[in-house]
Amino acid sequence: MLRAFLDRLYAVSGVLATICLGLIGALVLAQIIGRQLGVIVPSADDFAGYAMAASAFLGLAYAFRRGAHIRVTLLLGRYPPGWRRVMELALLVIATATSAYLAWHLTMLTWESFVFDDRAMGIVPTPLWIPQSVMALGAMVMVVACVDELAAALRGRMPGYAAAEAEETAATIGQREG
Amino acid sequence: MGDLLFAIGLVALLFILLGAGMWIAFALIIVGAVAMIGTGAPVGQVMATTIWGSAASWTLTALPLFIWMGEILFRSRLAEYLFKGLAPWMGRLPGQLLHVNVIGSGIFAAFSGSSAATCATIGKMTIPELTRRGYPDGIVIGSIAGAGTLGLLIPPSISMIVYGVAAEVSIAKLFIAGLLPGLLLMTLFSLYVAGWALVTGHLPKEQTTSPLIERLKSSRHMAPVLLLILIVIGSMYGGFATATEAAAVGVAGALILSFLSGTLTWRSFSDALVAAMLTSTMIAFILAGAAFLTAAMAFTGLPRLLVAWIGTLGLSPYALLAALTVLFIVLGCFIDGVSMIVLTTAVLLPVVQAAGIDLLWFGIYMVIVVEVSMITPPVGFNLFVLQGMTGRDIGYVARVTLPFFFIIVATIAILAAFPQIVHFLPSQMAN
Repeated sequence: MLRAFLDRLYAVSGVLATICLGLIGALVLAQIIGRQLGVIVPSADDFAGYAMAASAFLGLAYAFRRGAHIRVTLLLGRYPPGWRRVMELALLVIATATSAYLAWHLTMLTWESFVFDDRAMGIVPTPLWIPQSVMALGAMVMVVACVDELAAALRGRMPGYAAAEAEETAATIGQREG
Repeated sequence: MGDLLFAIGLVALLFILLGAGMWIAFALIIVGAVAMIGTGAPVGQVMATTIWGSAASWTLTALPLFIWMGEILFRSRLAEYLFKGLAPWMGRLPGQLLHVNVIGSGIFAAFSGSSAATCATIGKMTIPELTRRGYPDGIVIGSIAGAGTLGLLIPPSISMIVYGVAAEVSIAKLFIAGLLPGLLLMTLFSLYVAGWALVTGHLPKEQTTSPLIERLKSSRHMAPVLLLILIVIGSMYGGFATATEAAAVGVAGALILSFLSGTLTWRSFSDALVAAMLTSTMIAFILAGAAFLTAAMAFTGLPRLLVAWIGTLGLSPYALLAALTVLFIVLGCFIDGVSMIVLTTAVLLPVVQAAGIDLLWFGIYMVIVVEVSMITPPVGFNLFVLQGMTGRDIGYVARVTLPFFFIIVATIAILAAFPQIVHFLPSQMAN
């Protein structure tokens, strides 16, 4: 139940991140075509930037689970399994704390933008709390993903990212056949 | 004295975190936060503002778009067309089909900003073919590992976008500046391969003297691809488009090409988009962490002290560059290229500026040094890729790649002696 909900949560935010990436392409192309036709897409630069931030942060948790965030696994891979588990636990505790700190302050930033009614400088005075809240939301999903992986590691299971990393290594070696 | 201990402590913390396997973006954020503790500045507020500023950026949008373009073409039959199109022309050169590795990598690099992807794609195509024809393994593997690094230097390049965003240098200018050094490096690789073939004479004889018409016919599939390269790079050079706009045009062109070659399906479209999102999220998060670390460093004043300290050493710019090159090659043995670039811009950029080194030139230099790190064990991504593809151990792969390692280092020296190679094209660019 909870498992299904969490996986759905990461997948939905991953899909939204992917759509935002597609939107960046569409916006920039619209701007280029519009210029040829003498039409200006208002504040396209700003909106592309918001889509960038949204895509980057909404994608965080999904990418984390898929093992896409890079790190140095050189030493980790050489520990005996017991030590490796302790290390992964310690890393996850620090990562959870860091992501929570980040999510909290991104939320505060959004809140302040809302209270002080900060707006974009461009043609369209977008209230900044709107794109900022998407970023804060992505950071919160990342905190959930960290806690999720921490819980898995505590119960002695292999975290999702570690499984994905191992799979990727296997896939690279498997290319030998191709 | 206290400052020195503090600085050493921070560097130690960074390396402990990285070495222990902390995700790189988190490691940068943690070190930034620890660095700011003593300054009395509001850590969380600075973190949120710099990270928002770094992520919501028009300049940064070039990153996902170029990655997307590469992912689309990666799923089309580009590599196959390249091999079929290039091979008939190489039969008479000393070194024969080995040049396909070099030139194919160079052209593929114009689409893919990634060295490992270039290496894997070209290698998957050429290794079985060249081995079947009896080319010795060593030179085949070495030339792919070496030439694969061109992915970083020939625009569009992910490393250059990362440097451009982090150091606030025009990405379009960096791309154009990378062209001549990229061609120089390709020429040197080709010369080495030709020289190797002449000296050792270890190559099988190719019986390719097919008539010109035949050769042109087998190359016809390459034409649209070359045209797309020209449009993307030309539009930046001519000043018609920013890097982001050129990238969007590149995405549109890649979609059209992939549609025409019959490889565009809903599946390949969404796969490419998701893959681009994963890579772009990962890099954007590292850049966000680096932006915060840079801001944190400015609060501590440590980079200023570093500048003053290096000033007292009285190093010439050349001596400084030589020292940095050694430092980067050693660092490159342990951390990846993107991290190396963002760490350098966060900590060392003031030193570089104070030494009177031009930031555009330094960007190209940095990218080439990162190329070197791709082929130095133990953390050399190209070596890993080829190890996986050929089943040879990493020591062997590293050994046959060594000559190419020296060629890249020599190129750095040439660029230091003749900086015009970097500056010429950007100075001709329209604004």
